[in-house]
Amino acid sequence: MNVNFKIWRQDNPHSKGHFEQYGVEGLTGDMSFLEALDHLNERLVANNEKAIAYEYDCREGICGQCGIFINGRAHGPHDHMTTCQLHMRSFSDGDTIVVEPWRAAAFPIIKDLVVDRSALDNIIEQGAYITAKTGTAPEANAILIAKDLADKAMDAAACIGCGACVATCKNASAALFTAAKINHLNSLPQGAHEASKRVMQMTKQMELEGFGSCTFTGACEVECPEGISIVNIAEMNARRAKAKWWG
Amino acid sequence: MALTGLFLCLFLMVHLSANSILLLPESTARALYNSYSTTLRESLLVKIVAYVLYLSILLHVGYGLLITLANQRAKPKKYAVNTFGENSSWTSQNMGLLGTMVLLFLVVHLANFWARIKLGMGAGVGMDAQGHVDVYEVTYSLFQNLYFVVFYTLLMVPLGLHLHHGLKSAFMTLGFYHKKGLRVLAKVSLVYAAIMAIGFGIIPFIVYLK
Ligand code: HEM
Ligand code: SF4
Ligand code: FES
Repeated sequence: MNVNFKIWRQDNPHSKGHFEQYGVEGLTGDMSFLEALDHLNERLVANNEKAIAYEYDCREGICGQCGIFINGRAHGPHDHMTTCQLHMRSFSDGDTIVVEPWRAAAFPIIKDLVVDRSALDNIIEQGAYITAKTGTAPEANAILIAKDLADKAMDAAACIGCGACVATCKNASAALFTAAKINHLNSLPQGAHEASKRVMQMTKQMELEGFGSCTFTGACEVECPEGISIVNIAEMNARRAKAKWWG
Repeated sequence: MALTGLFLCLFLMVHLSANSILLLPESTARALYNSYSTTLRESLLVKIVAYVLYLSILLHVGYGLLITLANQRAKPKKYAVNTFGENSSWTSQNMGLLGTMVLLFLVVHLANFWARIKLGMGAGVGMDAQGHVDVYEVTYSLFQNLYFVVFYTLLMVPLGLHLHHGLKSAFMTLGFYHKKGLRVLAKVSLVYAAIMAIGFGIIPFIVYLK
């Protein structure tokens, strides 16, 4: 199959950047989207042109590195999927595919499709950890946790920090990410000790990093590869209000 | 945003209930609506609530403008291609635009009624047989003009859309996170918005045709 890529090229954080067109031939439907980019890059390198910079690591949907905006959607045309899980059979022969980096003031572009997502790490540093001494893995039933709570915490913990929620949000809000991190630990007894401090500090950092505020468009939960529910944001708001007014 | 919005939602319910009096047969409607309106204007409690209302509108609009601008700053460069219709409603993506249309409506609306009745601007307003200010007449004479009828009815579309998203959104902003409750809330928001838009939208038409 042949496609026509229209890809954002930008040399460094300060250069202007522009779209470049690349016709790519000889792809197959069972290639992943990243393999199609690799295919193109091999040709560019062979011709002594600059390879397209993009990020990846696991290529199996668990690391969250492969953030790319494809044809108007974060991680391409499907709901709840990372770019590495996207296959070329999702496109048709002869398609033009527009490929852009995540866009947000808090995610400055480093090069081409690579953006700096440190802002998410900075939020994590404000409380997405526990101070309790855990030592070696304890006996599983030493701390009893009800199944529904364990499930809820696990669902939130599934966030891989890809930033698709920020990328798709018209306000570039990091509310879904931050809510997932807060609700994961605040739902569990291990996270109870610094629960109030955690929600206050992490939401504060979220604002300081220049993310916008949530207006519940709901785009994030559709693009999130882990299907983190937007209800988490409402719960974060409740936790924040409780921490603010009742300590 | 959420608190002021919800207060405005509450106000709209009261406002629509009162306005439905206008559709009763003239013999009862004129006296009833005018005496209701006079009672409101003379009550101290309602005067206080009215100031809370004006303040809510100003805060809602002002804060809405600030948030919209701040959110645009958080996303200074837009995507060349963005098919957001596949992951969210058009309404939720355009609350600022819809709000501005509601504001346009509000300015005209306040000029039509509030400015004439409360501030005494424009053409004078008569009295009815009971000696009450004849608000009923103000309404009926305004809606003899087809342009106003169409304007009032058309702009209830953005109002309905704004309310549909706004009501749900406000509850989540305030931290309502009960899953089943939110599903019910989504339906309630739809029904509420439809009643407000259709209710306010149809009154001018009925008045025109009477
Ligand atoms: C009839 C009057 C109005 C009512 C009942 C109303 C109601 C609401 C409610 C309940 C919300 C949700 C608050 C939240 O999500 O936190 C909202 C949001 C908003 N309103 Fe209004 N509103 C009205 C008029 C206006 C006007 C005149 C503007 C003018 C700019 C406006 C602009 C906004 C904006 C920008 C938002 C937030 C945007 C968003 O959630 O995406 N509203 N409104
Ligand atoms: S909440 Fe979902 S979309 Fe957002 S960073 Fe986490 S995994 Fe990615
Ligand atoms: S490369 Fe790890 S999630 Fe895609």
